[in-house]
Amino acid sequence: MISVRRPRGTTLLLGALAVVWFYPVAWTLSNAVRSSADIYRAPWDLAWPPDIGNISEAWNRGQLGQALTNSALVTAMTVLLVLALSVSGAYALTRLRPPGRAVLFLVVLAPLIIPTEVVIVPLFSMYRALGLINSLPGLALVNAVANVSFATVILAAYFRTIPQEVIDAARVDGAGRVDVLLRIVVPIAKPGVLAVAVLVAVFTWNDFGGALVLLQDPDAFTVQLALTRFTTFYSTDQGLTFAGMAIVIVPPLLLFLVLHRSFVRGLTAATPRR
Amino acid sequence: MRDRTYGSAGPIPLRGNSALASVRRSRRDGAIDLLFVAPVLVLVVSLLAYPLVSGMALSLHAARGFELTNFVGLENYARAILGDAVFHRSLLNTVLFTAAAVVLQIGIGLVLAVLVADARRGRWLLIMVFTAPFVLASVAAGAVWKFLYAPYFGLAPTIGAALGLDTATVAPLADSSTALWAILAAFVWRFAGFTMVVYLAGIQGISRDYYDYAVLEGAGRWRRLRDITWPMLWPQTFALVMLGTIGTLRVFDMVWIMTAGGPSHATETVSTYVYATAFRFFDVGYAQAMAMVLLVVILLLTALEYRILNRRAEMVSS
Repeated sequence: MISVRRPRGTTLLLGALAVVWFYPVAWTLSNAVRSSADIYRAPWDLAWPPDIGNISEAWNRGQLGQALTNSALVTAMTVLLVLALSVSGAYALTRLRPPGRAVLFLVVLAPLIIPTEVVIVPLFSMYRALGLINSLPGLALVNAVANVSFATVILAAYFRTIPQEVIDAARVDGAGRVDVLLRIVVPIAKPGVLAVAVLVAVFTWNDFGGALVLLQDPDAFTVQLALTRFTTFYSTDQGLTFAGMAIVIVPPLLLFLVLHRSFVRGLTAATPRR
Repeated sequence: MRDRTYGSAGPIPLRGNSALASVRRSRRDGAIDLLFVAPVLVLVVSLLAYPLVSGMALSLHAARGFELTNFVGLENYARAILGDAVFHRSLLNTVLFTAAAVVLQIGIGLVLAVLVADARRGRWLLIMVFTAPFVLASVAAGAVWKFLYAPYFGLAPTIGAALGLDTATVAPLADSSTALWAILAAFVWRFAGFTMVVYLAGIQGISRDYYDYAVLEGAGRWRRLRDITWPMLWPQTFALVMLGTIGTLRVFDMVWIMTAGGPSHATETVSTYVYATAFRFFDVGYAQAMAMVLLVVILLLTALEYRILNRRAEMVSS
């Protein structure tokens, strides 16, 4: 194999781009541990020594504890629901023979083409009639619809790679559909399942539009809504604002730090590859 | 590849329309199979199809505060398409924003992917750096960029001060000629990582022989990119354009957080206008009519892109 030496120029370019991309995130986290006076004096300095005063203040003032719990609940419910639905749905579409498979595929993929924003108004009306406004499970359901399509596509890609012979052998041994699913298909597709869980968790935690419309009571606010209110209310106190932002972005970032391979795997699983 | 399925009697090789196969595969089996995908169907039908239909009905009525008052037929649509300058502006903004965003995400994502693909050490670190914005909530991303764009405090004033220029009052988000593009920069920053990882995965599937041969022929980096990488990544490009279009035409979060559609509707997108109309002015029937127009635009553009791009995608993968 012929190796081509990378010109210095591209390395520099890559480095510069990396800095540009990373800067906003680093800046936010850095300013979150500085006092507001310090930030006002020199917005672009590094945080040293770190001062976490603003963080506890942001936590209290923004009632972020309650919001974090709400977000965690909605995220957990959505992830579980989407996993259950997409695992069984992908299984049915790739390994079973339900009637009208093509039509079923279209229906499952519909949410990808018809975005929530287009139906959010009648959805609000419907939820209001059903008394589901301010309901966290209600929000989880809406988030589930938004995420189940790509989750099914990702899992379908994984399920298709399982050799039919393995399943046939199990069937000969007398395994039923559910046995095959839980004991063979899912374990083999575990990376895909994990990837779906991570992606759905991050997307649900970050959901803004759905929560904005369906949650009106501040006690039910997710962390994104609490943050919005917080940043508007305390917009003049930069330290507090950054601290609040840091609290909100840290959970997904931590998850991403630990499971980034899974995350990226999930993103690329559904797109064409050789 | 022979398609195999199984009924209650175990694995059965199916050949086309074999009568024997259809006899063995009972209706009951098909129904049980359907049961596995039924929950998803129920969810999609109840939370997407039903609201869509009731939304259509809603759009044909005048409504105050979510109570339908009287049937007005296509009046809402006529008002939006013919008479509402703000809606026209929002539609134009949305389409321009989407076109620019898709082109930039693909271009920048490709460049990043090519650069990162060559990186020997620290590749995952680089991937994480470029993908991290994607993990950031839109609220946080919007808020950070608002700070970066702030007058007196933000990036431009600071850099300007360091260079001795008077840029203290530069405020991209407050200027109606630059606001939308300022949001675009933040938007592309957030999503380019996604296109990058998709292209990266695709690049890793391209045989190195092509490049070795090209180097032997004396082709430079740019020619290799244009004549090998770009054509071979066409399936990825196709998918990214489609996903990008659908995903960007609906843009709401970042615009709402950074400017709420202002200044003076300069950054209004269809989604922000629909939201404001329905939840601030309570003109719900009209809002839904505009949302329906957006849906039609999405469907039309997606179908158009599919027609135009699919032909080339088929040529490449064969």
